Amino acid sequence: MQNIKVGIVGFGRMGITHYSILNSYPGVAINSVADTNGTMLSIMSKYIDGLETYKDYKALIDKSKPDALLVCTPPHLHYDILKYALKNNIHVFVEKPYTVNPKEAQELSKAFEAKGLVNQVGYVNRFNDVFVAAKEHLEAGLIGEPIRFKSEMYSCTVVKTDKGSGWRANRKTGGGVVYEMAAHALDLVNFYFGKPDAVAGTIMQKIYSKKVNDLVSSTLLYKNGLVGTLNVNWSDESYRKPTNKLEIFGTEGKILADQHSFKLYLKEENQERGYRKGWNTVYITDIFKQVPFYVRGNEFTRQLYHFADCIKDKQLKNGCSFADGAATQDIIEFLYEDNSKNLKKI
Amino acid sequence: MQPIDKVVFGDNQFFGINHMSQEKAQQLAEKFHNIKNIYRVYDYAFEAGINGIMLNSNDRASVICDYFRENSAKFQDVTWYPSIPYPHKYANLVAEKGIFPTINEILFKGNSAGGILSMMAKGGSAILTKDAIKMMQMLIDLEMKIFRGLDVKVVFLQNIVTDLMLGYNTRVVFEEYCNYIKEKYNALPGLLTMNLPYCINKLQEWGIEEVVICSSINKIGYLMSPSNQAYEEVIANNDTSKYQIMAMSTLASGAIPVKEAMAYVTNQNIQSVVFGSSTKGHIHETAALLK
Repeated sequence: MQNIKVGIVGFGRMGITHYSILNSYPGVAINSVADTNGTMLSIMSKYIDGLETYKDYKALIDKSKPDALLVCTPPHLHYDILKYALKNNIHVFVEKPYTVNPKEAQELSKAFEAKGLVNQVGYVNRFNDVFVAAKEHLEAGLIGEPIRFKSEMYSCTVVKTDKGSGWRANRKTGGGVVYEMAAHALDLVNFYFGKPDAVAGTIMQKIYSKKVNDLVSSTLLYKNGLVGTLNVNWSDESYRKPTNKLEIFGTEGKILADQHSFKLYLKEENQERGYRKGWNTVYITDIFKQVPFYVRGNEFTRQLYHFADCIKDKQLKNGCSFADGAATQDIIEFLYEDNSKNLKKI
Repeated sequence: MQPIDKVVFGDNQFFGINHMSQEKAQQLAEKFHNIKNIYRVYDYAFEAGINGIMLNSNDRASVICDYFRENSAKFQDVTWYPSIPYPHKYANLVAEKGIFPTINEILFKGNSAGGILSMMAKGGSAILTKDAIKMMQMLIDLEMKIFRGLDVKVVFLQNIVTDLMLGYNTRVVFEEYCNYIKEKYNALPGLLTMNLPYCINKLQEWGIEEVVICSSINKIGYLMSPSNQAYEEVIANNDTSKYQIMAMSTLASGAIPVKEAMAYVTNQNIQSVVFGSSTKGHIHETAALLK
């Protein structure tokens, strides 16, 4: 098979990382990059032989004719870029959040599927060894039927007054804690339990940001009786790294998971898997799987390798498709609506 | 190539870093909030016959370096293995402002007047010619400032940078880094990496020699890409006059018992081991197993 020709649109932190990871995949050739920052482009073309650089994504697509595109621009630009990629039959990996509009998210999802193009959103926790293993334990029924869950995310991303410039300072462009962080916590909820049917009691708060929110909490409701809570704060200095936490209370026990380990409380011993009654801890060192090339965590390698694998093997089902991304986008919309209703109460 | 210390004492335990458990990391961060507790642990390491210290260039490291300079008579045998940069200092800034504004802010704000002048002299041209190599050299100087006057043996580039740049497959960055460390700091260049086989193969292909490579090496293969087998082969065939290998994460964050972990590395063609611990007994036991 010929090399998969890949272009990258948006060369900020994620674009830079993805380049390095995907470039290590045998059979992938990254030969074009588009960004509005001329300094970045001139450094790239100076040090990387043969790399085509463009200031405009359309020029990249028209001239470089990639088979696949990694889209790592600010979120409000995703829709137009993805539409143009779709028109040109290009497989797309897009960073989260996938769009800033749930209708556009659905539209693109259907259109990419209809054309048989690989479509993936960068919700990286779906490729984390611990979250994958904990989900398998839930599905195998180790803690019985889930009744309640908590999905939380904390980080020290915004810990001083933000002047409010750039795309991160505006909801319309995809900025704020809901799009940038809560999206991860909500995607984990979708990954484990599917999309909630309704939300209640949503409150968003500002601490340091002027125009967007720094905190969000909500209650997530399912028709089958399952209830969850969401709590996300990106202004928490006590966290050195962004941390997702998921706690699930079930009829037969509970699971507490983060990126590094999960704890399992069981009402009864499970001989088959060697778990005792009461608390059991499973560390990442017990369950990790090696990746061919490591840059910043196994999950980052695995998600991009999965994207390339799906392009090579059309039979593979994508583990984080646009449809999955659209589900998260829907809940985000619910949260904003609910928040504005709730704010009127006080 | 000058041989490196057989045993080097690491620093993750001091800074609330534990790959296996965030809870454990938190407990350690509390314990070492009082910096005297850090100095006490260093004393345990010296008593156990360890002279080398690996230290990441974070904010607390600068206080630690001050202490060692102030007590240089007492610590004259101590050799240093700095690792640069402190990645988290950059990560949030980059997310907030973008790459170049971050570099600008780091290079030109918060420096002493003298530092700024010499940096401006270099940086002015760096920005004009968009020369990433000059920019890299300036960032190295900035990170290395805290280690001034200490006996530096190896300057390691953090794995997040090494591995990112390995993915780009650009020889010049590695070549320039290694030359700069040798010439400016009279030290051996070091690379931290989670991809040791790939890294050594690339350095050979590029003809870059006399480098110390520090990588996770443990029986269970934790943070070892692509596989234990690939590591074992490359290590067995390694020409130690060109590359010295230092093992880190030998205990895989505590998943492997000390004896077993040390046996795995001492049975291989590995020149040095860096480990961190916060208890006297553990430090002495590990050091003894490595002698």
